Formats: sequence, structure tokens, C-alpha cells
Amino acid sequence: MTEAAIDRLLDESHIIVCTGAGGVGKTTASAALALRAADRGRRAIVCTIDPARRLAQSLGLSELGNEPNRVERAGSKRGELDAMMLDMKRTFDEMVLEMASPARAEQIMSNPFYKHVSSTLAGTQEYMAMQKLFELHEEGRWELIVIDTPPTRSALDFLDAPKRLTDFLEGRFLKLMLWPYMKAGKGGMKVLNFGTQIALKTVTRITGSDLFADVGAFFQAFEGMYEDFKNRAKRVRELLAARRTSFIVVTSPTGSSLREAQYFTERLRAENMPIGGIVVNRTHLVPEVAGLEDPGALAERAQGPLAGALEAYAAWRAVSVREKHLLDAATGLERLPVWRVPDLADEVCDLKTLRAVGDLIADDKAG
Amino acid sequence: MAPSLTASRVVVVSGKGGVGKTTIAAAFALAAARAGKHVLLAELEDRQAFAPLFDVTEVGPTPRTLAPNITGVSIEPDEALVEYLRVAYGIPKISRALIRSRAIEFATHTAPGLKDILLIGTVKQAEGEQRSGAPLYDLIVVDAPPTGRLPRFLDAPRAVAELVQGGPIRRQAEGVRSWVLDPAKLQVVLVTHAEEMPVRETAEAIEAIQKMGIELGPVVVNGIWPDIRGLGRDARATLASNAADSGIELSDTALAALAEVASVQARRSHHQRKALKQLDRDVALPQACVPYLFTARMDREELTTLSHKLEGSGLL
Repeated sequence: MTEAAIDRLLDESHIIVCTGAGGVGKTTASAALALRAADRGRRAIVCTIDPARRLAQSLGLSELGNEPNRVERAGSKRGELDAMMLDMKRTFDEMVLEMASPARAEQIMSNPFYKHVSSTLAGTQEYMAMQKLFELHEEGRWELIVIDTPPTRSALDFLDAPKRLTDFLEGRFLKLMLWPYMKAGKGGMKVLNFGTQIALKTVTRITGSDLFADVGAFFQAFEGMYEDFKNRAKRVRELLAARRTSFIVVTSPTGSSLREAQYFTERLRAENMPIGGIVVNRTHLVPEVAGLEDPGALAERAQGPLAGALEAYAAWRAVSVREKHLLDAATGLERLPVWRVPDLADEVCDLKTLRAVGDLIADDKAG
Repeated sequence: MAPSLTASRVVVVSGKGGVGKTTIAAAFALAAARAGKHVLLAELEDRQAFAPLFDVTEVGPTPRTLAPNITGVSIEPDEALVEYLRVAYGIPKISRALIRSRAIEFATHTAPGLKDILLIGTVKQAEGEQRSGAPLYDLIVVDAPPTGRLPRFLDAPRAVAELVQGGPIRRQAEGVRSWVLDPAKLQVVLVTHAEEMPVRETAEAIEAIQKMGIELGPVVVNGIWPDIRGLGRDARATLASNAADSGIELSDTALAALAEVASVQARRSHHQRKALKQLDRDVALPQACVPYLFTARMDREELTTLSHKLEGSGLL
């Protein structure tokens, strides 16, 4: 038997990015793949973003911090598995501390506006996920890094995130707006064009100028660090597009999830990012069986739980046919390996069930 | 007062990603529309999740008819800011200048909670809209951000009021805040699956929302699987004896396939019952259970079925 395609991917990749919309089992897939890689002998780490601590529980850890934790895998002597959960604010703090002088870092971190940027600004989570990936890569301890991405609705924000945040921090426009607060006081207003003056006055009236002063100080503190940010963003992008990086798009076989998956793959292709394949969770795989062509009619005559079983078969069979149609019709996915994971009876909540998910991915012949 | 999905003017529907909050919001709108209410179905930030459910190409910032008695709209922060400036200041010209100078992008990206308060403020505005002395909409259903982001979203009016010392934004924030806290105006309905993790997340969200003093409506438990009881330890043997008793001839392959499907469904159902018990323990709100529909794609027809099931739950 030839080696499963997923195993080849797990054995050869250095980075696997699991991406997809929220609620499709992305975190589970990330953990299952990292666990399988470790069981196959690799030194692997999985980094998740999920705030519900699902992964922490499924990996038997009481707490996932911003630091890697060793996962004890009973019965496996090969490989190593570490797990961690991304702490957005701490990752941002660490980055500031690394890039700025201690005095400057202190200035930045005590700014009230920084608290907002580092914990709630749109795109920060995506940026920090990529920053953490880069750090893990630089640390050099792991042969394979599996990273879960934030369940952003605006798909693949993390690809833009470094650029967006650098744009934001560099913020030529912002600096223009905030110039009076950053430089020589109100006199600066004179050099601004009329439209900007009106805009600035209006925004100031709306938001109150204290906030503006904080924001101005924040950007001033970041002055001179933009080059570092840009370089970092460039290197992250190179890492994502590297030969031994694979994106895995996680989805479920419903119309809305598949539309999302198609969009993800299109975007990844447009950005020249390497796609390893698609994991389709919660698939109903029910074969057509001779003698069960009309289960509904049989159910009417059936006694005991057989009636329910026939009805269940009818429903599952119908949904499995519809799912297959949807999957076949999903253009753009057809040239990629597609791994289907059946809708499981039991929740994936421990190493045993995570391993089962890995086995199911490897077993799917479609892959 | 009996808990009802229609006890408030606005119903904010949320839930963990993947539990079907959008579908439930749409089905709820459909059921209310059937009962003769004129419903505004609102989604936020151009998600375009309602369009395929109602077979339309797009739902934009301009309200459009999705079905009899249902108007759909997508509320976007940029549009909301322009609208806010128009209403608050009567200055459409400056609004346009603002768009040109990308000040909106700046304002919505920098001021904490500003984007969320604009979204909520727009819903409030729609709620207050009148035509010939009567409310334009009888009911507004909002497909809100998922539970993970919901508390912060709902807390935006308070956060903004705290951050901004004075001026129109503070007045606006305080106005929105007292509106959000009025149970006759707004209630939050959480959708969940009968699974351990979604139930836990629902309980956490409820705690956070209760602390804010915002009214919570019933919890909708979506995707309940039909139970199959009496399969025993050996499902295949049980089904084989049932078949013999019923005079139905089944091949080994057929029996194996049936046993497989039935066992998975029975186990799933067992887990769901456990999760429902957990929900009872953790959550003191009324619940409405909606069956799993065995469909891969929600369309208008499936949505109608779901809306009847929701109606049957007695919470409308």
C-alpha cells in the first residue's frame, strides 16, 4: 500500500497552516494532524488561537499559555508534541520589547491606546498568529509547526494582516491627521489641506481630543520602528510561501462552508501560497446498498428500532448524496486532495479520538 | 411573562460559529412574517449570509425585500458613520469629505468600540423609524457577531461612553446604552448545539451578558438528532431479529449499513441528551429545541421547514 498523501505532507512539511471559517473543526484538525505527525516520529508543535480552550482540553492540558507545553502521549515513544495557545497581547508585548529600546518599549506599553491596539484592533490577532509562527520557526526547535488561524469571517485576513498592521502603524494618513498632536502643536494645522482640516476637526469633535492625544503619542513612540515591522512582514510572507509550507483548508460539506472554502483556495492561489489539500469535516458517507432502495417504505412495516434505523439510513443516504453533489460542484477544489472526515458520533475531546480523526483523514481514499 | 422571541422590538441572534445562528435568525424572521409582522432582517459588515437563503444575489446597505413581509439589510460601519453624521449634524458635505480623506477608516479603526456602536446605533435608528405614525418595522432580527465577540460588541456603548469625556459621541453612546438595556427594546437570543463545547460557550456568554444587564430570551438548541432506542449491545443482531419479526428480508450488507448508521445516530443522540442536561444545569433560561434537518444546503424550502419547527417550539 502506498503511503497516504496526508502522511507524506506531515513527514515533509515544515509549516502547516490550517485555515477556514469558524465552526468547521479547524482546531481539531490542527491538533489531529500535529499529533499524527508526532506519532510518526516528528518533533511537532501545534499553536492554536481558539479562546474556548478546546485544544487545551483535547490535549489533556489544564492551561495553554503563550509558551509551548509538552503533550504526554501515552503509548508513543516516537516524536515529540508540544502545544500552545496564542496570547495575542503577550505576543505583541514581546514583539515590542524585542524591537524597541527598554525606555521606548515602556513608553509604548504604558500608552492607553496601545492596550486597545494590542488586544482589540481588527487584524491584530491575525498579525500575532503570523508573528508567533515566525518566532516558533526562528526558535528552530520543531521540525513541524502546525498553526491554527483565527476564525475570521473576512477570510484570510492573516495574509493581509502584516501589511495592514504595518500600514496602520506607519500610517502616513494617520500621521497627517495627527500631526498637530505629534509635532509642533496647533500651528501645524496650517499646512494641511482644507478637506483634511475639516475632517480632523469633525473627527476630533466626535471622538474627543484626549483620545487623539493618546493616539498621537502612540504613533510617535513607534516612529523609527516601521522598517523593522516591514522587514518582519516580508519575512513572514516568504515563510508562508516557502516550499515546505502547506495550507490546509478546513471545511464542512455544506453549501455555505464550501463557498467559503472555495473563496479561501482562490485567495491562496492568487497569493501564490501552497495549498496542501482540503479537509472536509462532518461528512456523511453512506453507501448505496442493494435492497435498501426505498428505506421509507420498509420503515412503515418495520418493528422495533429497525424502523428508526431505516429512517436514519434514508436521511443519511439522502444527505450523503447531496453532499457529494455539492463537493463535486465546488469548482476550484477538484484538483486538490480532499480528505473527508465522517460526522463522528463522539466528540473529539482526548488523544484517542484525536488519533482516530488522524486515521480517518489518512484512510480516505479520495486523498 | 412568558418568554417569547417576540417580546422585544429587536432580537439579537448569536451563537458559537457553526451552530446555525444565521439560519435560525432567518427562520425566525420567516415565522414572524407569516404571523403578519413586518420584519427587518439585518446582517452586519457585508457577510452576505442571507442572500443564498432567500435566493437573491446580494443584500446591501439599502434595505430590500427578501420575502413577503421581510426586508433585508446589511449594516456596514462606513455607511453607518456617514448616516450618523448626516442625522447628528446634518452635514452630508462633510461626510463626503470624510470618505475622501479616509477619515472613516481611521475613526472606525482607532476609537475602541466605535465601529460596534455605529452598528448598534444603526439598528436603534431602524427601530425608531416610523411611517404614518407607526413603527416602520414590527420586529428587527439581527444576525449578530458570534458568541466569542458578542459581549464586547454589546458592551461597546458603555466602553465608548467611558472613553469619551463629553460631546455628541458621549451623548450618542449613552443613548444607545440605555436603549440596549431596555428589555422592551432588545433581547439576545443565543443559538447552540447540544454538544459539550457550544453549551459551555453559551453558558459563558449568558453570564457575561447578564452582568451587563441586557435581557436574554430563550436559548435555541439547533440540530437535535432523532433518537433510536432499544438497539442494545449488538445493534446488528437486534435489527436482524426486528427484520425477521417484520417479515423484511435484508442482506448482510444491508444489515451492516443499517447497524452502522443507527449506532452512530443513537450514540450521537445519547451525547446530545447529556449536553442538554448540562445546559439545564448551567443555564436558567427557557429552551427551544429544533431538529437536525439532514440537509447539506439550506435554501428557501428548508428554511420554511425550519421556521415551522421553530413555530412549533412555542416560543414565538
